[in-house]
Amino acid sequence: MDQERKNKILPYLMLMPAMAIMAIVVIYPIFSCIATSFTQEEAGGFGLENYLYFLADPMQLTNIGYTLAIVLVTVVLAVGIAYLLSIYLRFSNSRVSRWIGKLYLLPRFIPGLVAVNGMITIISNSGLLNRLSRLFGADWQLGLIYDAKGIILMNLWFNIPFATMLMGAAMSAINNSEIEAAKDVGAGKLRIFWKIILPLTYRDIFISATFVFMSNISSFTTPYLMGGNYPTMMGVTMYNLYGNQHFGRSAALSVIMFILSALSAVMYIYVNMRKDQWEKN
Amino acid sequence: MKITAKMVLGVLAGAMVLTTLTSCTSTATANDGKHFTIWASGSDNVKVQFEQQVSQFNESQDEYVAELQFITSGTGAESLSSRLIAAYKSGQTNTDYDLIEASDSEMVNYLNQCGEDFFVDVDTASMENYENLNYQPSVGQGMFIPYRGTTVLLAYNSETVPNPPTTTEELYQWIKDNPGRFAYNTPSSGGAGSSFVQTSIYNFLPEEALSSADEKWSEEWDQGFDLLESLHPYMYQSAGKVVYPNKNQGTLDLLANFEIDMCPAWADMVISQKMQGTMPESIQLVQLDPAFTGNLVGFAAPSIGSNSEGAQAFMDYMLSPEAQNIALESMAALPVIDFSLLDAELVKNIESLNISEFRSSSIGDLGTEINERWDREIATLG
Repeated sequence: MDQERKNKILPYLMLMPAMAIMAIVVIYPIFSCIATSFTQEEAGGFGLENYLYFLADPMQLTNIGYTLAIVLVTVVLAVGIAYLLSIYLRFSNSRVSRWIGKLYLLPRFIPGLVAVNGMITIISNSGLLNRLSRLFGADWQLGLIYDAKGIILMNLWFNIPFATMLMGAAMSAINNSEIEAAKDVGAGKLRIFWKIILPLTYRDIFISATFVFMSNISSFTTPYLMGGNYPTMMGVTMYNLYGNQHFGRSAALSVIMFILSALSAVMYIYVNMRKDQWEKN
Repeated sequence: MKITAKMVLGVLAGAMVLTTLTSCTSTATANDGKHFTIWASGSDNVKVQFEQQVSQFNESQDEYVAELQFITSGTGAESLSSRLIAAYKSGQTNTDYDLIEASDSEMVNYLNQCGEDFFVDVDTASMENYENLNYQPSVGQGMFIPYRGTTVLLAYNSETVPNPPTTTEELYQWIKDNPGRFAYNTPSSGGAGSSFVQTSIYNFLPEEALSSADEKWSEEWDQGFDLLESLHPYMYQSAGKVVYPNKNQGTLDLLANFEIDMCPAWADMVISQKMQGTMPESIQLVQLDPAFTGNLVGFAAPSIGSNSEGAQAFMDYMLSPEAQNIALESMAALPVIDFSLLDAELVKNIESLNISEFRSSSIGDLGTEINERWDREIATLG
């Protein structure tokens, strides 16, 4: 066999094992899930019954709306706070900022279940904060547990470090020389932000938003342990449906989740492909 | 000492030879009338219990040698009953399914699918410990020998509730008189909440309904659901909303932190957590009238096994005070023999409990239907 043909086949051969595993553990389950989602429980055969169930049932519509509301609030708060934090870490050189720079990734290394249970022992109605308040004669009932507010708080704990990490990378790509040049010609702080920092980093805002959106729309542990009974986030709804042996409906819900994630992925691709005026030559 | 690749290989090879040899011996002696196999499933504490009991049994006599096959729940536990029924229906005989652990609800399932011939009749007259047995199972008499009970009881804080309710009517009145101090977990997330919901509904129905999977009973649930709805506003609240915690442990956590005064709970969970010190001493248990649901768990010897004598000897042993002590200590199982025969130190944890009966529920798929209706009608009340 001549060298040239060998060179052509070799990369594919090397990709084969990875592709084979992908096909078995990712691609096949996706198709099987889609097939299940069209398998009707009541009428039998194939059809849209399971999807109509989610569109027609006010309870399920509330669940989907509740999920989207929590996820959107999480995205806005997490990305907003993380953006400010990453600017601070990039441009401040104080001791505090160096410490935060070292510590902010710590939450990423704590297993999710441990973090959620830790948070519960602090914020629950008889948790640490409540017990401290009772020392001073008060009785704070934070009302965070079994409520959307608690879920959002927990989501921020998980997602701020992650988004800061993504946007921190973009911040560190900004050259000091660009900022100094702007200062030399008399630009104020606000002007530097609008004309230099934001244009160089807005793409990463959208990218972090996409990732935060996708990882939260399917979350389970946090809403299961910290959420109320109704409405429930989609991950918990799916768990309940599956537990009650509604395999078709839970498959349809995963497809709906998949479509929502795909929509945010479209935004990710669009922002990535877009070329700004100054990038064209 | 340096660990070399050779040494590692040597150890591995040695281990392989050993395991091969052991498996040889066990197959060679499978049908010698001495060895028999016990099949059980469940969580780890059940396994710990059996390991102790099997080794004690094997040391206590020379006639039989028991071996344990344990299937940890969540790893194919369903397949024990499926395997067993499949083996029976495909006409296999002389298998090593000599003795199986089952609850009375599971016994209903076995007997429905395979008939009375599936299990060997036990010669109770020749069992020296049989007279100790205080409870008679409602199913499989003469073939099913219970060795422990498990039941949902009312757990309460004796400091804030010195006189706990003893009937369901008193309980409902207490709940209404003390808003926010009672909770039960969502019925689909654990047996304690499910038992509360099921008995609240089935207390309005004839007792036979609780052992029937017939769809017709679902038409008579309305009265029970009305009751649950009327209790709803008086349940535990957080952030101004009524909340039903997830999981059996969810309500127990509220009870342990004194956020509530009462909840339905599995007796063994409360007792073992008290033994570990995570549940305050002031938490007590009481059985109501009519009772929450529970089960007798025991043994039966499938007729397709090959050593029913050994199986019977083990059933006998399980009713001995020694075996009952192990069950009580390792998993806070409720003993089925008289407390006076047991280790006084262990009995302290349960002596106030006087369980007159284990009210078994076997309503099949109707249980799921109840949970769904609860999710739809009660959880959404807000």
